[in-house]
Amino acid sequence: MWQALDVGKPTFRLSFGDLAMKCVVVCMLVLLGWAARLSAELLLPAECSIPEVVDLCIDARLQESDTIPALPADDATLVRRTTLDLVGRFPTVREVRDYLSSEAATKRVEMVDRLFRSPTFVRHQANELNMVLTHSDSDMTGYLRQAISEQHSWEQIFRELMSGEVTGADQFLKTRVQDLDRLANDTSVIFFGVNISCAQCHDHPLVTEWTQAHFYGMKSFFNRTFENGGFLGERDYGLVKYKTTAGEEITADMVFLTGSVVEEPDVVEPNDEQKKAEEAVLKEAKEKKEPPPKPSFSRREQLIDVALREGENAYFSQAIINRVWYRLFGWGLVMPLDQLHAENPASHPELLEWLARDLVAHQYDLQRLVRGLVLSRAYARSSRWEGESYPPRELYAVVNVRPLTRHQYATSLWLSSTSPDYLSGDLSAEQFEQRIGTIEAGAHGFAELIEDPTGDFQISVTEALLLNNSEQVASDFLRDAGDSLVGKLKAIQDTNVLFDTAVWNVLLRSPDEEERTALTNFIAQRQENRVGACQHLVWALLTSSECRFNY
Amino acid sequence: MPNLPHNEFCGSPESVITRRGFFGGVATGAAGLTAANMTLLDVLQEPAFAEELKIRDKRVILLWLAGGASQLETFDPKPGRPTGGPYRAIQTSVPGVQVSELMPHLAQRLNHTAIIRSLNTHIGDHGGAATVMHLGRRSEAALKLPDLGAMISKELVRADSKVPDYVNFYTATEGRYSGVGTSGFLGSRHAPMFLTTESKPENLTRLESVSAVDHQQRADLRDLLSRRFARGRQSAALASHNEAYARVRGLMSSEKLFDISDEPQSMRDKYGPTLFGEQALVARRLIEAGTPFVKVSRAWWDSHGQNFETHLELVSELDVVMSGLVDDLQDRGLLDHTLVLTLSEFGRTPKINPSLGRDHFPSAWSISLTGCGIKGGAVYGKTDDDGQTVVDGEMGAAEVFATIFSALGIDHQKEYHVGSRPVPLTDPGTEAVAEVLA
Repeated sequence: MWQALDVGKPTFRLSFGDLAMKCVVVCMLVLLGWAARLSAELLLPAECSIPEVVDLCIDARLQESDTIPALPADDATLVRRTTLDLVGRFPTVREVRDYLSSEAATKRVEMVDRLFRSPTFVRHQANELNMVLTHSDSDMTGYLRQAISEQHSWEQIFRELMSGEVTGADQFLKTRVQDLDRLANDTSVIFFGVNISCAQCHDHPLVTEWTQAHFYGMKSFFNRTFENGGFLGERDYGLVKYKTTAGEEITADMVFLTGSVVEEPDVVEPNDEQKKAEEAVLKEAKEKKEPPPKPSFSRREQLIDVALREGENAYFSQAIINRVWYRLFGWGLVMPLDQLHAENPASHPELLEWLARDLVAHQYDLQRLVRGLVLSRAYARSSRWEGESYPPRELYAVVNVRPLTRHQYATSLWLSSTSPDYLSGDLSAEQFEQRIGTIEAGAHGFAELIEDPTGDFQISVTEALLLNNSEQVASDFLRDAGDSLVGKLKAIQDTNVLFDTAVWNVLLRSPDEEERTALTNFIAQRQENRVGACQHLVWALLTSSECRFNY
Repeated sequence: MPNLPHNEFCGSPESVITRRGFFGGVATGAAGLTAANMTLLDVLQEPAFAEELKIRDKRVILLWLAGGASQLETFDPKPGRPTGGPYRAIQTSVPGVQVSELMPHLAQRLNHTAIIRSLNTHIGDHGGAATVMHLGRRSEAALKLPDLGAMISKELVRADSKVPDYVNFYTATEGRYSGVGTSGFLGSRHAPMFLTTESKPENLTRLESVSAVDHQQRADLRDLLSRRFARGRQSAALASHNEAYARVRGLMSSEKLFDISDEPQSMRDKYGPTLFGEQALVARRLIEAGTPFVKVSRAWWDSHGQNFETHLELVSELDVVMSGLVDDLQDRGLLDHTLVLTLSEFGRTPKINPSLGRDHFPSAWSISLTGCGIKGGAVYGKTDDDGQTVVDGEMGAAEVFATIFSALGIDHQKEYHVGSRPVPLTDPGTEAVAEVLA
């Protein structure tokens, strides 16, 4: 029943899982017309591992389009990429060298699992989620670190963010409560992959499934939310009204993106006297520094319920799959990230759906998802395209270059400009993590000077000027000290050893012939000032594009 | 890929000329100026390119009157009315047009300026109003709209420009971050250099510890490493990284533009001895060197109390600075292609409050446009006798922006694209005010 694909993939292990589940999956896949798309017949049981499914789907489409993908990235590059993605920093020279010299067949999995166990993993994932949730304009990392270290599922995080009752998580609502349109749309974009703001003034011009009813339907989940003295509250009444382009005035129902209407008990708008009484209660709560009384019926809770309900949760599950995929692959299965709808199909629809179902079946465990994706072959390809014309990104034939985030860049600059002796040698795992932690914390200051990448990111001339001419860069990264790279380099007499040490420390590889020649010329012209020469050399390495990007 | 001109000249891909290829002299990929196929004369006769050249020569200086400048003490005085205040109106060099007596110098030069008196922008809070007057429309929940400076920078900038594209002076602290300086979805390339405490951008000067030779040669080494890395890798962000570094030396050499100490005293006197005047002089130096858009902010016009003292000081200063600027531009032959604007969040109430102040008033207020593409002496729109409402020519921020773009020869309905969503420069259906356009 399970057949091998002719891409050289080994046969699946026969699984003895839930037969009913398998049948359902098989039927669904056939119905999706998936079998017809492939040159070989292929059926995916739910028990397949994430990397297996990823590679099957990606490879199938590559075959279909007659595209030969890039070769696997070399080991050093893979270590760099994986380390950046899991713990937000470059690997050390020692970490790369140890990996290269290991002959264990399982070394890749072991590396991944080691990184997952590192305390930096939690901090980095918190930074990444913070970017998604706040566009980097407020800081929820405190709450996120706790949530991630306690292994909260994405469902749990969603509930905590929407409830407004968890310290730190309540920032999500608090920073948006003054603009409920923005709150509704942000929630829709972040958690459901749907930007319906176009549908505010008229039915969406391009997407037939999104109408004004959807926009105001989503807004209706939030319209009773308000802030009172630093606490979030929700009223018992309040309806959203809007005007159609035909001029008709409509009272909105709570409508989820799937079109499902959420019923609610009838509300009676309070009269003036009742409103006065309510105001008095709120005033008292404010003075006592207490939260306002909870409503007997919460519209926000309805959103949580409907979004997670079976049959309705495709948006919720697919949106986070797409976001995590985008982070790791540099290009979403659905692009743009906020256009998850029928008229904008995924590049690999069966893959997206399988991953979403798999996520739901495993209680929205994001760590498991990340682990699966970084262990795939698609993730591990080279980012250099040797062929003629660059292939469309949606084929994933070659890995995308991704700009480092501000924390990744700052931490990695610090790491790269630190002497290799400081982080190699005989350190216990604990001592090592401690030193990494110190470097990471010290990098926060510089990170503030760098912009976090958003979609269509462009690096500004302000950054280039900063790296070129600021005192801080010179004193942070080019200092001549016992624990710095420059300090180590200045004492090395043999220029070849000097070049190897420098280039390895920053770029995690040896210089090639052309680079060696350029470096030799550079040093030769600076015999009288060895320290200066080393500083300029390190500067050129730190500011190179190779150092600025994840590749 | 920058916008291609409408005609493909020879039809073959190799000789398609892009803006970058023509103006920047940097061949990108297959597109570059191929002399064999096209002479310069041919190119200049090609209407699309002649237009391009003309547009690219234009500049904008925005004098941002932060806090809400009173139209009654500037461009739309109502002397003798209960709401008129103590200042009179004076004749100008344009027959039949009067302005506040606080602007005697501008009055003499009004033949270069058009006034619009009929703005009704509805928003009365500093933040919201500043946003609308910077974006030309309301901001949106999920779309990061670019402001006027970013759009102008994008339309007018040259690819290999060695000067900043968009400079924003905002020295005071009041209102500094209201709706200010965002390139939105146009990206960092068009973000402003935001100057607050200093009158020149940060990090423009080489450190003393680095010699000029070292600065250059280490940059060359950086370029070599980066070029090798870029082979076989395609990414807009990667390209922008190297583009940013390539612009550094040019921008560093523009440092002297920010230094007015080499201007003769007579020139500095023309603009007056204030910070606002100095920054306006820097603005002239920048646009003269090729910066397409400079915003000079003067705060804080928000005279809820002591309106008349505040405006005596601020309008008198504006009068000197703006006249100096207009004279200077004219003397240098720059006025024809430089557009000087005065904008604000809103105007001020005709009703005078108990603190002898005027409060926020978006319902009937004035702006001015001078220079490039403007019909000097034109006055558009009317308010009633007390300045309470607009009685003729009511318009909003969108119309202001449409008029600005039209004065510069830019099609204000031209569309950017964010994903699949078209975003025109101004909202669909907006019309420019033809009466103030030359």
